[in-house]
Amino acid sequence: MAHADEAAIFNKDEAKVDWHDKALWFVRQKRDKSAHKVKGWEELRNYASAIKANVLSNLDSYLLQFEENAQKNGVTVHWAANAEEHNKIVHSILQKHNAKKIVKSKSMLTEECHLNPHLEAHGIEVIDTDLGERIVQLAQEPPSHIVLPAIHKKKEEVDVLFQEHLGTKPCDGDPEYLTAEARKHLRNKFIKADAAITGVNFAIADTGGFVVCTNEGNADMGAHLAKVHIACMGMEKLIPQEKHLGIFLRLLGRSATGQPITTYSSHFNKPEPGKEMHIVIVDNGRTEQLSREDFRASLHCIRCGACMNTCPIYRRSGGHSYKSTIPGPIGSILSPGIDLKKHSSLPFASTLCGSCSDVCPVKINIHEQLYKWRQVIVKDVPQPVVKKTALKMAGSVLANTKMYHFAGKSARFMLKHMPRFVIYSKLNAWGHARDLPEVKNDNFDEWYKKRKKNE
Amino acid sequence: MNGIKKEKRMSREAILNAVRKNKPESLPLPEIDLGLFEEEINLVETFIDNLKFVGGRAVQLNNMTEIDAEIKKLYPNASKIVSCVKESALGTISINKETEPHGLEDIDLAIIKGELAVAENGAIWVTENDFTIRALPFITNDLVLIVSRNDIYLHMHHVYEAISKRDRTFGVFISGPSKTADIEQCLVVGAHGAISLTVLIV
Repeated sequence: MAHADEAAIFNKDEAKVDWHDKALWFVRQKRDKSAHKVKGWEELRNYASAIKANVLSNLDSYLLQFEENAQKNGVTVHWAANAEEHNKIVHSILQKHNAKKIVKSKSMLTEECHLNPHLEAHGIEVIDTDLGERIVQLAQEPPSHIVLPAIHKKKEEVDVLFQEHLGTKPCDGDPEYLTAEARKHLRNKFIKADAAITGVNFAIADTGGFVVCTNEGNADMGAHLAKVHIACMGMEKLIPQEKHLGIFLRLLGRSATGQPITTYSSHFNKPEPGKEMHIVIVDNGRTEQLSREDFRASLHCIRCGACMNTCPIYRRSGGHSYKSTIPGPIGSILSPGIDLKKHSSLPFASTLCGSCSDVCPVKINIHEQLYKWRQVIVKDVPQPVVKKTALKMAGSVLANTKMYHFAGKSARFMLKHMPRFVIYSKLNAWGHARDLPEVKNDNFDEWYKKRKKNE
Repeated sequence: MNGIKKEKRMSREAILNAVRKNKPESLPLPEIDLGLFEEEINLVETFIDNLKFVGGRAVQLNNMTEIDAEIKKLYPNASKIVSCVKESALGTISINKETEPHGLEDIDLAIIKGELAVAENGAIWVTENDFTIRALPFITNDLVLIVSRNDIYLHMHHVYEAISKRDRTFGVFISGPSKTADIEQCLVVGAHGAISLTVLIV
């Protein structure tokens, strides 16, 4: 199904859409307040963008440098060309330790690789420990936002889910009570876990270390209690030097939620004595995206979610309507690179207003890339007949002055005199949920000519 | 096993070769001009404001000898206390490098010396050297961090300069207590880590 059809499903519950829209806009406003307090915010964004561009242009040497330094620190480094290999590597590490109970903190990469079903098929229990991720895991849904995974769920729905799975008492969706119950439930899982899986926010080439950011403390609870810590990272997570964290950590939290920094920014360098630390570096289509000049800057992304919070389409269509691991504007430029046909409607899920590019902390030209994908897609993927014909007609009308004037005149005449059921027929897609503007006397051209005459 | 090892090596080479083939021409690494980010502000006040904003509590003390009385006042019911600060005598449970972290599950309070504080975001930098057991600052119910008013830095750039010479094992910036807003964006303090954070500025 195309994005617009999926969005129509989400839009059936109007009150929920309104809430979703406002909740995310509120996060966007918090981002603004927080960013405006920082002296040199725009320079931070410029530096971040330039550093990421430097990383991509030297990615091979940074990867080797990172590997060498991580190994020196006693960390085992693995390389996975694709999702399947990533899952196999993680499973083989767990097998070696006979690990059956796993706690996992947020990692969009493991979502992208569908790690959970792979491990579960081998009889391994994987518990997502971020509260939002635990909620969607219990609901057997994917996250709908990369920072706020359960933003599409109302608290009453969480209440019912927890009653069913955690045995909580009905509470009218009291967030304090539900969070406290989740804390108890997940404490138990942390204590009993054989291994912990985390994502990676930043991997530092010149130290071989990596940084994981959470607000809940779940990555640390998992990693420091279990005997084995596996950190999974997309290869684009590298930064050259530790001091560059100064740039990126100043940007990440503020862009994501308006916090000046996440509650915990954990710097892992060496495993504790007697414990193991593994890093899995994953390609899974990233080197291919690197080859595309127009789209490679999408690999700058630090997964803050700011482009989603600001996007008028995302806010009103919900993350699930994108049917891709990363939804929203950034997902709409990443996903066509992975499967052009499947995700061909995503670059059209945008007004091209450019707000995403304006808030992006690493200055990805998201809206320009959306436009460029559209040009690739209309060439490579068959478009719906109605859209094709309509646009062709519009093209010829707009190219011809006489036709344009005639079309304008007849449209105004029709709007004024035709009955409503004709104007708002099925053909008028724009009018499904909106009224067309009321027609006042002349168009601009006529009004201007008259005015000239009367001067 | 040999087969798996070979496959591993092959992916590594394949990935690196693909990068070499597909990467753009080398772009320079920018030199960061820290002058762009300098500000004349009151570091202690800014730190306290930001700490409050992220849900933490700051208390200013004149002397290290005052810390125990203050902690007792703030956490009167804490009985299982781990103190990693030699100036505090409140510790009831002692830990060392061999302590099993799972055994710390019901700790009421941990008292840890912070190495430095960051004015711009209310964060405190602590490393494994300061708390011995990596899980401690997360698994404890409440957390007290002690920091010297002379160790408050303006922003993260200065901080990374200050910690650049450390022995890198595990370190963390902690900014406020553990929290979540994953249920309808309602902020709830106390997700998986410490439920409260008090910073004593001495």
